[in-house]
Amino acid sequence: MFSWSLAVRNLKRRRLRTALTASGIVVGISMMFILLSLVSGMETQARSLARALGGADITVSNSTSFRDRMGGGGFFGALPSPSTLDASIAETISGIPGVYAVSPQFSLSGSINGRRVTVYGVEPASYEIVTGGLNIVEGRFLSENGDGEIVMGKALMDFLNLTLGQTVSLSAGQEEEGRIFTVVGVFETGMIFQEYAGYVTLADAQNITGEHGLLTQILVKCEDPSIVSDVASLISSTVPDVRVTTPTATIQQASQMLNTLTMFFATIGLVALFAGSFGVINTMIMSITERTREIGVLKAIGAKNHDIMKIFLVESLLIGLIGGGVGVAVGSILAYVFPMLTSGLFAAGASPFGMRNPFSSAVNPGLGGRAASTIMFATPAITPLNIAICFSLGALVGILAGLYPAWRASRMKPVEALRHV
Amino acid sequence: MSKLIVRAIDLSKVYRRGKVNVPALNNVNLQVSSGEIVGIMGPSGSGKTTLLNIIGGLDKPTLGKIFVDGVDITSLNEKDLADYRLKKVGFVFQFYNLIPILTALENVEIPLALMGAPKDERRERALNLLRMVGLENRADHKPDELSGGEQQRVAIARALANNPSIVLADEPTGDLDSKSAMAFMKIVRDLNRRNDQTFIIVTHDPLVVEQCTKIYTIRDGRIESA
Ligand SMILES: Nc1ncnc2c1ncn2[C@@H]1O[C@H](COP(=O)(O)OP(=O)(O)OP(=O)(O)O)[C@@H](O)[C@H]1O
Ligand SMILES: [Mg+2]
Repeated sequence: MFSWSLAVRNLKRRRLRTALTASGIVVGISMMFILLSLVSGMETQARSLARALGGADITVSNSTSFRDRMGGGGFFGALPSPSTLDASIAETISGIPGVYAVSPQFSLSGSINGRRVTVYGVEPASYEIVTGGLNIVEGRFLSENGDGEIVMGKALMDFLNLTLGQTVSLSAGQEEEGRIFTVVGVFETGMIFQEYAGYVTLADAQNITGEHGLLTQILVKCEDPSIVSDVASLISSTVPDVRVTTPTATIQQASQMLNTLTMFFATIGLVALFAGSFGVINTMIMSITERTREIGVLKAIGAKNHDIMKIFLVESLLIGLIGGGVGVAVGSILAYVFPMLTSGLFAAGASPFGMRNPFSSAVNPGLGGRAASTIMFATPAITPLNIAICFSLGALVGILAGLYPAWRASRMKPVEALRHV
Repeated sequence: MSKLIVRAIDLSKVYRRGKVNVPALNNVNLQVSSGEIVGIMGPSGSGKTTLLNIIGGLDKPTLGKIFVDGVDITSLNEKDLADYRLKKVGFVFQFYNLIPILTALENVEIPLALMGAPKDERRERALNLLRMVGLENRADHKPDELSGGEQQRVAIARALANNPSIVLADEPTGDLDSKSAMAFMKIVRDLNRRNDQTFIIVTHDPLVVEQCTKIYTIRDGRIESA
């Protein structure tokens, strides 16, 4: 009907007012949009994190997390070296009912060609059984007696300008002279920080620090995924002074944090939308007052209350749609700029592991902390669903804010409206 | 004699202004036959507009009844009154009251759109109406691009869009020069003759009065002469 052309032309006639009113909605919508995009980005990363952590059902480590707290230099630096466990614990755990296989691991904060990274010493066969193995994109995984072999992450390879088959120097501390290893394989995880790592055999790793017979983690695979938490508590009660982590619990904690974040930003966005909707109400009341006579004329001609209501609802709906559209556009630009801003932060030297964020305390140090950090620095993902949601949200705000003014317009007495000057 | 189209019985209207009661109509009885052009005269504040609004279903009397085409419109609810205005009544106002952002054609289309007529049909009928008032070449003009007389002709085309049985006009020539007023009245005469449409026109204008078939004068809310 003519409500659409009436609305469009009235909004065009008062361009500036329309723009100002819509911009009130733009603020809220763009915030909601960047929020939704961040959440989508986080979800994607949390999923790949779950996949990455999903290798072992249970990780057992020393209950005092780190030996040294020096940490790594730079953003992609290594984790501090973990505290150790006696290798005999692996034997004990493999005897616990429900345990299918165990794989001992010795990880340390070392340096490859002078670059500080995390080095994992693993037993190739049991590692593959327990975790399902790394995602090898070039070459192969460590061979069973693969002393002197190293498998490195793609990102680290690129960073150090290395190719398959080349040798690297690996040392435990800061010393320049290390042992020579040959790169036999390259893995990818999809998460860059995980790729700043190298895998060597357990014996090689222990030799580097001289800690023979010691482990840092014991990776456990259960007979059935459904019994993981039972087995975990059995391990806790059987073996003293160990931390028992299950990736599902870690993911749960991370997603809890995600929820907190979401609620936080959603509240801000909603408050902004609420404020914006008052602008719409104000503008609509203004234009209804200006057009009182017109309303009287329309009613005299035979317009029913719902016809009048529709005319003004369409108008506020259009304001909402404009606000939604521009909000999505502004939000997309922000979502595009956001990773650049955060990477700017990294360039300035802030390490995500060393950074204090209010949520990290809620999450375990170690794997959980890494999960939290990854999620904090997620890349926003712009999805059609999010665009649709934000558009509809703008439309909804327009309609809701227009409801009261339109209702007032529809209830005007025709005679009084016609007498209005 | 032709049938009665308007029959007002003992109409009274009292407006309340704060604590004061303002009597606008006092026991008005009025009968209008189909096909008449009725002129209503009277001094300012005598109740002319009030009477017209009650006949047109824009306002309700405080007391009394009014039948239009056999229906007691005082008993209608808000929605049915709107329907009555849409289908049975056409309004012409002194200050034309066209919608400023709509073209002449679109203004004439409004009642048809409110009736739910399909777009093509609506266009065609609105164009015919504009042709009838001699403005088909101004169809795409906005009201502010038209003279007062032209705007009033668009207004009458709009009033006639739904082929109402009565057309009510409140000082339609009050703001027009005599040439435009004459043009307006010629259209009224033609329509009246052609479609047997009934007109009730509130006016002071002798040019209008001489075209009416019947004149009533209101003074202090009472009809004085027939
Ligand atoms: N909505 C209203 N509230 C209060 N008083 C009103 C209202 N409408 C009309 N009146 C009063 O009722 C009386 C009749 O008014 P009405 O508008 O019918 O007069 P009129 O004959 O049309 O006058 P004019 O020639 O000036 O248009 C006047 O005294 C007017 O002040
Ligand atoms: Mg009057």
